[in-house]
Amino acid sequence: MTAAVPPTDNLPRESQDVPELKVDDTPDFKVINKSTIITRRFFRNKAAAFGLIVFILVGLFGLFGGLLAQWDTNTIDPFYMATGPSAAHWFGTTSAGTDLYAQAVEGVRTSMAIGLIVGGLSVIISAVYGCIMAYFGGKLDNVMLFFLETLMMAPQLLVIAIVINGAGGQKIREVLPGWVILTIVLLIFSWMYDARVIRSMAMSLIQRDYVKAARYMGVSPFKIVWRHLVPNIGSLLVLNFTRGITLAILSEVAYTFVGIGVKYPNYSLGSLIAQASSQINTLPWMFWIPMILFFLLVGPLSLMNDGLRDAFDPTSLSVGKAKKDKKEKAK
Amino acid sequence: MFKYILKRALTYVVMIFLVTSAGYFLAVQTMNPALLEQEKIPRPTPEQIQANFASLKLDPQMSAWERYVQWLKDILFHFDWGRSPNGAYINSEFGQRVWVSTRLFAAAIILSLIIGVALGVFSAARQYKASDRIITGYSYLVYIIPAPIAYFLVQLGAVAINQAAGDRIFFVTGISSPGVEPGWPTIVDMAAHYLVPTFCITIMSWGGYQIAQRQYLLDSVNADFVRTARAKGLTRNQAITRHALRVSFIPVAQSIAFTVPAIFTGGFFAEAIFAWPGIGLWSLQAIGAQDVNAATATLAYGSVLFAVSAILADIATTIVDPRVRMN
Repeated sequence: MTAAVPPTDNLPRESQDVPELKVDDTPDFKVINKSTIITRRFFRNKAAAFGLIVFILVGLFGLFGGLLAQWDTNTIDPFYMATGPSAAHWFGTTSAGTDLYAQAVEGVRTSMAIGLIVGGLSVIISAVYGCIMAYFGGKLDNVMLFFLETLMMAPQLLVIAIVINGAGGQKIREVLPGWVILTIVLLIFSWMYDARVIRSMAMSLIQRDYVKAARYMGVSPFKIVWRHLVPNIGSLLVLNFTRGITLAILSEVAYTFVGIGVKYPNYSLGSLIAQASSQINTLPWMFWIPMILFFLLVGPLSLMNDGLRDAFDPTSLSVGKAKKDKKEKAK
Repeated sequence: MFKYILKRALTYVVMIFLVTSAGYFLAVQTMNPALLEQEKIPRPTPEQIQANFASLKLDPQMSAWERYVQWLKDILFHFDWGRSPNGAYINSEFGQRVWVSTRLFAAAIILSLIIGVALGVFSAARQYKASDRIITGYSYLVYIIPAPIAYFLVQLGAVAINQAAGDRIFFVTGISSPGVEPGWPTIVDMAAHYLVPTFCITIMSWGGYQIAQRQYLLDSVNADFVRTARAKGLTRNQAITRHALRVSFIPVAQSIAFTVPAIFTGGFFAEAIFAWPGIGLWSLQAIGAQDVNAATATLAYGSVLFAVSAILADIATTIVDPRVRMN
């Protein structure tokens, strides 16, 4: 896991073909920083780069779109009830006469926040949990696996419905907005599947010599997990991160659509789509604008998946400019 | 092998017990049906509410632990899952609906497994051809569509077809038409009502199986034992069906258990969208009405479904994988 990844495969052939070039000791390759390699590989994939740009733009819309809004989410405009997109209301108004643009900005922000929080934290939890299971094995592994499978068995949908709809939880809901409660429950149920995969991957990594060496040197278990196991499953973790964001946004939209997610006065993409579902034929913009925003949010993530996997894969076959130049020279 | 499965089953029983108990405590802590009673007209006095709930064994003044012990005793000794705040018996309410939902889930699970695995094999055998790209692309597309919205759009589509045809071709709500004669017409009527929800859950769930089966089959097509088989003179298709397929199905079979929760959730969404009087719609309404016992009974149902499918997955793995020697 050093920083330099020299393209060694070309060297022997070159030194045989043109030995006179190798007289001086300066290496004929540049040492490239690992993060530079990852960034370059990622941006070499045009679809992934495009996805990242769209995702950032939608994110900026959610964060700063509110500055452009002339209306807030709940003010009723009596002159524009249930009208389509116009100069006064860019995304049109709802059947109640509230401004859809302001609601869309808040919806994108809420959905994206849920996605990023759940995606990010569940990656960390699943990595740490999976690695601990694999590293210690034995009884601890059995107990942790049992806990994991028990959580997997509990129907997530019902737990969310109970927590969101329970009237006794009124006190919690006064302190925390509804979308935060939804985020917490989604987070609790989001990491088990990834943790299982990471466990089996980490189990094979633990047999490697460098982990054994670290063990015999007396390095603390948590340090071994953090320094040797986590970096080795890096590409999987990055993929889990984007997949986790997608899944969290999807779950938010799905649960809210059937009425057990984000509730008024909060807005999310799910609640915008849900409020439009009874008027899809008469007020189509109310349905399709949040739907388009939703696809602009999750579509780029799946475009980025392939580029990210390639960028973080140490055995990537992606050929960059430096290597191409070398090949040209070799000819 | 039998012993192994028995051991697994025992573990699952413990897990079901834990999930249900934890769910019961969660429900007792968050749900308070007494608050809804106060919205009734004429408004009952607090004493009336208290007496009413105490007679239903839903006494809000008892501690959570006491209620739990009372509830657990009833289940263990009488298999009585308690009563709803409106006085209905959970056992009979649940019993009426459980087969409606279980049939729907079972049909959806079996169909999506068969279609997913078949399409996975088909697309792996034609890697990077147009058909492979369409099938796999569809699976990835489904992955980013929220299930209830897809069901909703299918429902709209079915309604549009009905209107265009000027006749009721697809049933998009409910489970049966009133006044159908018993016997054969009832079965046809029921099948017609099952059609759209089953179709919806299936088209949204086979993607995962398809991608997994394609991936594992491609991995094993390039394995040495398949190359050996080809070298011995088998055609590519013979090598795939006789050697690669079986090996590649093992991880898919193991994954069956872990896709069931998704189908279970999908079934709930479908019931909510299609006004389908199964467990899903009932439990969502019951939770809205602060019904602790109904919520817990459904939690138990969900975990039993998971356990059964996990055991089936274990059995399937043993059948296809000759290397599994379990003891």
